[in-house]
Amino acid sequence: MPISIVVPQLGESVAEGTVSKWLKQVGERVRKDEPLVEIQTDKINVELPSPAEGVLEAITVPEGTTVLVGTEIGVLGSTAADGASALVTAAAAAAPAPVAAVTAPAPAPAAPVHGAGAAPVGAPVAAAPPAGAPAGVPAGPEAEEDSARQGNLSPAVRKLMREHKVAMSEIAAIRGTGLAGRVSRDDLLEYLKGRARPPAATPAGPPRPAPAPPAPAAASAAALPGLAPAAPGGPAGPREELIPFSKVRKLIAENMLRAKHTAAHTHCFDEADLSAIVALRREWAPKLEAQGVRLTYMPFFIKAAVLALKEFPWVNGEVRGEVMVVKRYYNIGIAVGREEKGLIVPNLKDCDRKNLVQLAGEVNDLAARARAERLRPDEIAGGTFSITNAGVYGALNSAPVINVPEVAILGVHKIAERPVARGGQVVVRPMMNLAIGFDHRVVDGELAVKFLRRVCELLERPELLWFYA
Amino acid sequence: MSGLLSVCHLGPTPYREGLALQAALVRRRAAARDGAPGGAEATDWLLFPDHPPVLTVGRGGNERSLRVSRESLAARGVELFEVTRGGDMTWHGPGQLVGYPIVDLEPRGRDLHRYLRDLEEALILALERWGVPARRVPGRTGVWAGEEKIASLGIAVRHWVGYHGFALNVAPDLGFFELIHPCGLRGIHMTSVAARLGAATPPLGEARREVAGLLARRLGYEEIRWVPAEAVRNLASGIETSTAAHTTAHHAA
Repeated sequence: MPISIVVPQLGESVAEGTVSKWLKQVGERVRKDEPLVEIQTDKINVELPSPAEGVLEAITVPEGTTVLVGTEIGVLGSTAADGASALVTAAAAAAPAPVAAVTAPAPAPAAPVHGAGAAPVGAPVAAAPPAGAPAGVPAGPEAEEDSARQGNLSPAVRKLMREHKVAMSEIAAIRGTGLAGRVSRDDLLEYLKGRARPPAATPAGPPRPAPAPPAPAAASAAALPGLAPAAPGGPAGPREELIPFSKVRKLIAENMLRAKHTAAHTHCFDEADLSAIVALRREWAPKLEAQGVRLTYMPFFIKAAVLALKEFPWVNGEVRGEVMVVKRYYNIGIAVGREEKGLIVPNLKDCDRKNLVQLAGEVNDLAARARAERLRPDEIAGGTFSITNAGVYGALNSAPVINVPEVAILGVHKIAERPVARGGQVVVRPMMNLAIGFDHRVVDGELAVKFLRRVCELLERPELLWFYA
Repeated sequence: MSGLLSVCHLGPTPYREGLALQAALVRRRAAARDGAPGGAEATDWLLFPDHPPVLTVGRGGNERSLRVSRESLAARGVELFEVTRGGDMTWHGPGQLVGYPIVDLEPRGRDLHRYLRDLEEALILALERWGVPARRVPGRTGVWAGEEKIASLGIAVRHWVGYHGFALNVAPDLGFFELIHPCGLRGIHMTSVAARLGAATPPLGEARREVAGLLARRLGYEEIRWVPAEAVRNLASGIETSTAAHTTAHHAA
């Protein structure tokens, strides 16, 4: 009778824990009370003792993933060691759906599970490996050696390798920039960008006879890796799908409603001519690239926002009951979209004390870790003002929702060339619309407009940052 | 709950030895609770090691928190240890009060956060006694003086016994923190009691006694017993000696 390994209650105020390290591999024997897995919450790392003697049958939540208390993270089988591996394969290959259904609330499988059970196995996107995925199951004959060499790689890299089915031989070919030439997460991401196409999805089962005409469903899944096989007209399954809210989705929903219910949301809009910033970025991006820093527009927006906030401190505040808290530090939240994983707004601390290059590095790092679910709790808490860039998806304008308890949010958008009038002439300039969403309870329209105008001015004339920042 | 807290100033302790001592005492503590044969005494511990300069990184961090190369660390004679506690990277060394409470968390309902908050509270009370206003910052475990961090915490739990613990900056060379992003936090500034109080800084011995007393009270022990370092080392290496003979028992003030 398999025993479910769940994250136990770790304290009255503890709602979640992060799987920091599996101390046993799938298929390995474990004695009762022997440490099985480490869970981290806040600054406490707990070794969970095994609830019984048995064999670790499956790891359903991989290292580095944060889950709610009560979530199943693995399965312990009471069977003897012999036949365990067969059992493992069977359980891992056949079980994902039911397992996921039982523990539905937390890590709802990101990849849609419709279609054949084999679909998620090779799906290159699979953001959070679906529950039940055979994470950590050695794959090939080199498995043993591989796992030894993997010991040199960080958990984040190993996780990425699993997600993208990267072999150790590929890792060996990457020139690592980490300590002692180690392949870092960024190296791997860079490599994956260049990797033409992930290896074709191969089902875990026995090899299919090649010449046989493939079943239609399997064929479409294989031909369009990463796309949900929702072929129009075909018998593509139910017309509706029930997907329980993930924990993140619940939190987003709560925050959005709280924002809409408490803040007196008001918006106003402006535009800026980004010729100067575009030119600066064009000149500096290659130079910084050479130093390993990818320069986007966001650091410029942060710089301009911080100086404008200094000049209009009231915008950098918080409503606490009937008190307005004005903050003299500038922790700027950056809205990061993560597709089905959901929006998250980590913040960069003390942006007023950082130069543009530092900001660029930290923005990239923060966004990458947000997508990889490697943020620390303190990076989500403590923001003073937020910026959201709907332009990355092509939006020309938006009316963003305030990240409460902050009192304002800056929306930046697509930079597009368009004709504008300058001194009686029509000229073409890279223009961008800006939006501010503000809490009209405490921020008057006058203040919001002046603040937004100042941001535009600082973007149009970045030399002002020299004089006033 | 055990009413007795055994406290020991270990004196100079290489970091590796500190790990071994903790592991041995954790094992004994769990065995005593579970009534294993051998009959180890059911006491919680508070160890105060004096570590040479060393960097440690917990499960919450990685080498990205390091600001210098490994080679440069080696050149300075600073070792880097990966350990099983929670939290990111930190530094330990002379002038710091490092404390390892080895506490059975079963009778405390396995409430880890409450335990963490109690440790913070004891350090805050000690700092306030010395005249350094200190506080918590929600979401950032540790103790802060103003906007600067003055004590770091990181706990590990095995067999539901807590170990590792806290590091309070009494009068260390804060320059060592330049080697890292402390706790993985960018732009965090570390401070110390000495940086705040100058000549009025309590000597380490006094700070140790103060923290031991406040921590014992906060965690609800009835009695503190100071144990000589030699006895603890013998105990950890399996040599049973009667610790009672060396102890100076007094009630936690």
